[in-house]
Amino acid sequence: MTNRRTIPQNLLLALAICAVLLFCLFPFVQILSTSLKHQIDWGNPSLIPIKVNLEAYKELLGIVKKEETQIPETIKRLLDNPLITEEKKEEILETYRSTSDVFPFLRYFLNSFLLSTSAASISLFLAVFGAYSFSRLRFKGRKIVQRGVLFVYMVGGVLLMVPLYQISVKIGLAKSIWGSLLSLLFIYIIQTLPVSLYMLGNYFRSIPYSIEEAAAMDGCSRLEAIYLIILPLSVPMLMTVFIYCFIIAWNEYLFASVFLRQFHDFYTIPLGLQSLFVSKNAIWDRIMSASMLTLLPVILCFTFAMRHLTGGLSEGGVKE
Amino acid sequence: MASVKLNNIYKSFGDVEVLHDINLEVEEGAFVVLVGPSGCGKSTTLRLIAGLEDVTRGEVIINNRVVNMIEPHHRNIAMVFQNYALYPHKNVRENIIFGLKRAGATKELIKNRLEKASRILELRDMLDRKPAQLSGGQRQRVAMGRVLVRDADLFLFDEPLSNLDAKLRHQMRSEIRRIHREYRTTSIYVTHDQVEAMTLGDKVVVMRDGLIEQQGSPMEIYLKPNNIFVATFIGAPSMNMLDARLFPDFVLLEGQQIPLKKRIEKDHFLIPEKGRDIKLGIRPDFFRNEVFLDGETSMSRIEDVKVDLVEPLGFDIELDVKVGAQSFKARLDLRTSAKEGETINLCFDMDRAHFFDIETGKNLFLLPL
Repeated sequence: MTNRRTIPQNLLLALAICAVLLFCLFPFVQILSTSLKHQIDWGNPSLIPIKVNLEAYKELLGIVKKEETQIPETIKRLLDNPLITEEKKEEILETYRSTSDVFPFLRYFLNSFLLSTSAASISLFLAVFGAYSFSRLRFKGRKIVQRGVLFVYMVGGVLLMVPLYQISVKIGLAKSIWGSLLSLLFIYIIQTLPVSLYMLGNYFRSIPYSIEEAAAMDGCSRLEAIYLIILPLSVPMLMTVFIYCFIIAWNEYLFASVFLRQFHDFYTIPLGLQSLFVSKNAIWDRIMSASMLTLLPVILCFTFAMRHLTGGLSEGGVKE
Repeated sequence: MASVKLNNIYKSFGDVEVLHDINLEVEEGAFVVLVGPSGCGKSTTLRLIAGLEDVTRGEVIINNRVVNMIEPHHRNIAMVFQNYALYPHKNVRENIIFGLKRAGATKELIKNRLEKASRILELRDMLDRKPAQLSGGQRQRVAMGRVLVRDADLFLFDEPLSNLDAKLRHQMRSEIRRIHREYRTTSIYVTHDQVEAMTLGDKVVVMRDGLIEQQGSPMEIYLKPNNIFVATFIGAPSMNMLDARLFPDFVLLEGQQIPLKKRIEKDHFLIPEKGRDIKLGIRPDFFRNEVFLDGETSMSRIEDVKVDLVEPLGFDIELDVKVGAQSFKARLDLRTSAKEGETINLCFDMDRAHFFDIETGKNLFLLPL
């Protein structure tokens, strides 16, 4: 069909698209802008910084070596006083050496990355087999199980948080860091599995069954057919599901705040950011650059996935 | 090579029984064609043999071993699917050699087989293409190639030529026949095209509504059909069915007495002296133009046949004719000069005519005495 829109209509459409884009992208531009602004520039409503300031990024990524804090001359003289005990002297010096204002961004980033990748990988693995059985196998209770799984998704996290933590405490997982991480991993898997099963199940149903039958005729067992035929055909959806699970785990705050509260070294990024926001080190450029860096994996995931998320891999296999 | 035996096979999908008591024997190296109209159960039978469907009752026996419980991938069967069922993410080459690689064939063997199959199937220029870049006919040939390269005990073909154009279909038909003659791999072939059935099969099995109506050699099926269904299904154009009355000595067709060659004895299929209503079956190809009989006297004759339509086919000429109120077809010698609206006499060999029971449709001559 030919394009029958007039020029004013086209203009209107372009304007509408721009408005929507602006609405969606503005918060991100604001984050980027603030993260690059110098302290003197914060009050400036312009999105373009007067002078680009990358210090916060460098600091968060540990690129710049933190300058050794200078001990003021008056304090040095004070320390020379023989009346002050060695212990007291150490205590005073410690306040100048303290690194408590350094935000361990890379550690939190790594914590989040490992946890999210593990949760997404396990969730995807389980979803492949679950979704396959829902879409291909006929067994008693299939529909009930299928609906039951989706039901889990309907229950809000807040409702489950306390009981889950209680369970974790009672079986002794919550007292150790590994136990807490394991609990969190389980929760992320369970949280993401319903949608993963749903998405993958629907995708598997779109792959003609006769292709699997042909694989069986070519000597493949069911598992081999899944591995050699179904999975390569499902790469776009597998990636979508993985990214979905990864992002859910990456952005999750609620459960992490409960399970990891006492283990500061194992904070995930959202938890770390929250602690940064409320700390005495809450400086705008630092907060925003941390937010920007947190967004980075999500943006990267999508950019990478966009190239592969082309549908129709199973086209041409069977007669339509 | 494998032998296949189906013993009292029943298959139901839910409450619907689609195969009823199928018994079939396929000898080692034979080429058996299952033929019948859509929905007759021929593809289901093939899938039961492949193991892609479970048998409801009965036994599937391959090489004297009941395989009901054996998974398809352990049966060493190669199959061409009607809808191609190619692997969309693999190119033509990978599609063809996939099964061979799975079977652990050497690189040399894979190369040779691929070369041969792609030559026979004219796929050499498109080995690197993906199925989505091929036409329907090309995809069908890839599906064929996938089977031809295999060292399978049994080849199953589910309407493999249905997507090819007439020329390629003819060429592939000959190719399949030639390949079978060379390798002698036991093959079972499903089609609804009776020309394929007649030309390819050592044995043809005609099915209808989940039942085997008749099985035998192509000529047996053609010349001695068990019933009206087989008679009309096999042969193109199909056998003429004329309402007639059979007496011990003659057939009465539209008031004309056509004598039988030999009197039917009383005990043979009970022809009363007052006659019995039948369907008289005569193939259009078995009619002869009286003009070209060259004095042959053993032929029976239908007189005053009115020519409605003349269709020259090149090799011969097809007439739509009428005797009394009944229309039928006749294929005659090309020299026939009959014009539309003319009246001619048609001759036929009574030995090649069939008498079918008007109610059961069964061939009276083939009924057990």
